[in-house]
Amino acid sequence: MWWRSPSFILDKQQSDTVPHQRNPPDTLPLPLPSQPPFSMADTLQNPSPENNISAYYQTRAAHHAVVTGDWLAQAQAAIGRDPDDSTDTTVATVAGKPFSVIDEFNSWRKQPELAEAVAAIRALAAVIRNCQATTMMELEIELKKASDSLKSGDTTSISLTAGCDLFMRYVTRTSALEYEDFDSAKSRLIERAEKFGEISCKARRIIAMLSQDFIFDGCTILVHGFSRVVFEVLKTAAQSKKLFRVFCTEGRPDRSGLRLSNELAKLDVPVKLLIDSAVAYTMDEVDMVFVGADGVVESGGIINMMGTFQIALVAHSMNKPVYVAAESYKFARLYPLDQKDMVPALCPIDFGVPIPSKVEVETSARDYTPPQYLTLLFTDLGVLTPSVVSDELIQLYL
Amino acid sequence: MPGTQTLVNELVTKLKKRRVEGSQETALLTAELLRSVISQLKVPPTNQAETLIEAVKSVGELLVAANPVELAVGNIVRRVLHIIRDEDFSVAISSAGGDDRETAEQNGFRVQTVAAGPPSRSPSLHAILDRTPDSERAHHSSRDGDSFEGKGKSADRNAESWKLKHDVIRAVNELIEDINSCHEQIAEQSVELIHQNEILLTFGRSRTVREFLCAAKEKRRSFRVFVAEGAPKYQGHALAKDLGARGLQTTVITDSAVFAMISRVNMVVVGVHAVMANGGVIGPVGLNMVALAARKHAVPFVVVAGPHKLCPLYPQNPQVLLNEMRCPSELLQDGEFSDCMGVCNGSGNPLLNVVNPAFDYVPPELVSLFITDIGGYNPSFMHRLIYDYYSADDLDLQKRSNS
Repeated sequence: MWWRSPSFILDKQQSDTVPHQRNPPDTLPLPLPSQPPFSMADTLQNPSPENNISAYYQTRAAHHAVVTGDWLAQAQAAIGRDPDDSTDTTVATVAGKPFSVIDEFNSWRKQPELAEAVAAIRALAAVIRNCQATTMMELEIELKKASDSLKSGDTTSISLTAGCDLFMRYVTRTSALEYEDFDSAKSRLIERAEKFGEISCKARRIIAMLSQDFIFDGCTILVHGFSRVVFEVLKTAAQSKKLFRVFCTEGRPDRSGLRLSNELAKLDVPVKLLIDSAVAYTMDEVDMVFVGADGVVESGGIINMMGTFQIALVAHSMNKPVYVAAESYKFARLYPLDQKDMVPALCPIDFGVPIPSKVEVETSARDYTPPQYLTLLFTDLGVLTPSVVSDELIQLYL
Repeated sequence: MPGTQTLVNELVTKLKKRRVEGSQETALLTAELLRSVISQLKVPPTNQAETLIEAVKSVGELLVAANPVELAVGNIVRRVLHIIRDEDFSVAISSAGGDDRETAEQNGFRVQTVAAGPPSRSPSLHAILDRTPDSERAHHSSRDGDSFEGKGKSADRNAESWKLKHDVIRAVNELIEDINSCHEQIAEQSVELIHQNEILLTFGRSRTVREFLCAAKEKRRSFRVFVAEGAPKYQGHALAKDLGARGLQTTVITDSAVFAMISRVNMVVVGVHAVMANGGVIGPVGLNMVALAARKHAVPFVVVAGPHKLCPLYPQNPQVLLNEMRCPSELLQDGEFSDCMGVCNGSGNPLLNVVNPAFDYVPPELVSLFITDIGGYNPSFMHRLIYDYYSADDLDLQKRSNS
């Protein structure tokens, strides 16, 4: 929580006055001490020309493009620019050949249905395949470098970091590597890596299947933001001829709720659109709240789009169940103690009118929902209570 | 196997007509039936585990469908399936460790389980990470098998088939033993929870609660017990009588007096019908009211439950799906309503309706502690026990039988 310290606040004030300086928390994980610190890191961390928008937000925009097409274009341009800066310095020189994780990652990421973490897992699997190393240790180091460079491409994305961490855990900390010769161990690793990618790919279907028991005929579901898992859940329910209606929040500032309502209307599901502040007003009609998650943390809580916490609070006080749909690659090694105890992901907010420069704007894009406000989490590991998630995570990284 | 068929039909009829009630009795009957099914089943030399699992599953489906509300049936069926998988795994381990590897190779299923670790563990991040691809597994097993070709195959196989069945039956016997003895093990812990001069409250009738209280009495604790009578079955009366006969200071109160008395109570101890995977409990109707009263006055609400009550399902809409409407005569036995029962309004609906639900769902937030035969646990810890007792593959037993 050091960036809440007075020194950080001071730094932040300075960075606000000096337009080209970045926020201090972003400088921390940079593995590039030899580079000129500012210009280089700038392009790495925040590929967009606008300085206060996180890469996290751009990915969302690219995948959930609702507002405008130029967000997508911007994000694409940023993605295209990214590898030129980072690949040469980190991966390619190590591998000694033109293969790069970032390129691989981006080519996977172009598929709109593929989650970022799965793209990262696939890219890391490709690293093993293309690796020239001759010992296990070399391979491990190379993987570590590749995953670090992937992670540093977008420090604000929890699922990307979590996916990379899980993959590393999977590959390096396992008893299945007791082979005499390196080649068979490597081929085994590749096989396992691909298996892992496959499992992660199927996760959404599994979750949709598991959650069907909980959607009963005649129920009203409140959803917040656009989550591909939640959409899959609702789609499966609609296809299995369940009768339910959905309340979509608008999902400011990126208005992702509008997209969900569009998609649901295409499936002939009755949808009602709410402004974000109408949640408490409509909660008495709601039977359950369904949200996705950007990350599931060690406490069993979730980090998700701004507004999830207050919806969960309202639902809790009115005794409505809050269900979270999240793939297991979103399980992250984080333990936020409160709302500000996270790397902030910033997003632009369009208020429609010019805001005077003296007025401060809260631009954080995510909040943290503590576990006591969640009822169940639907993951590809099964239906879990928040305490089970906590148990799993702590055991995994023991 | 005509012998088992009649036994199965007998229990199915009993369950359907609700002639067996109470989770312990049902659990014991189910376990004994499954034991005789297993012992009378002729197992083929290969894929014995699968044959056993299939047989137990088909019987289990019938039993669960006969009384879906009696969760103990499904629990025991799942436990037995888990036992079969577990024993199969340990037999495979021992055979893979010894000389007779070709038997392991013959039985592809078995080899897979060896390679994949115990099949019992529910899906977890660990399991996903350590699961090995099928092709790799098959490749290794066949290579292992080649080197030990043709060495007393049939003899080994016979011994092994006998061994698996024997092991399973022994484990089922242990399970029956566990269910029979769980009261004593739960009762042993009562001294740590009941203190001198305390006032306890219980609800309805439960053998586990009776033994729990009597064990503390035998250890020379003096305390008082309030028994809520538990309308409409008034099983609390029977419990109060039992407790009085054993020399405990007992007071019978009406269900509606629970809130009035709860402020004087130090602990609520209740037995339940079933414990769900999220730590919520299904109990006799009226239990939720007691739990809410206890919460209001910050009185610990302790649930005593044997292993056969742990159900690996999550309660979805428990008030409807896991409930049963009982005969209205329990409410209206005096016959004083008899003259208005026949009266109908214009559209043919009776004016007087009687609803008599049997069960109540208490959410996990209201339960302070579970006392099981292996110790006391928090509601959020129940999933751990459930993962130890059941395999994830068997969870959809009831769902399949419903569809």
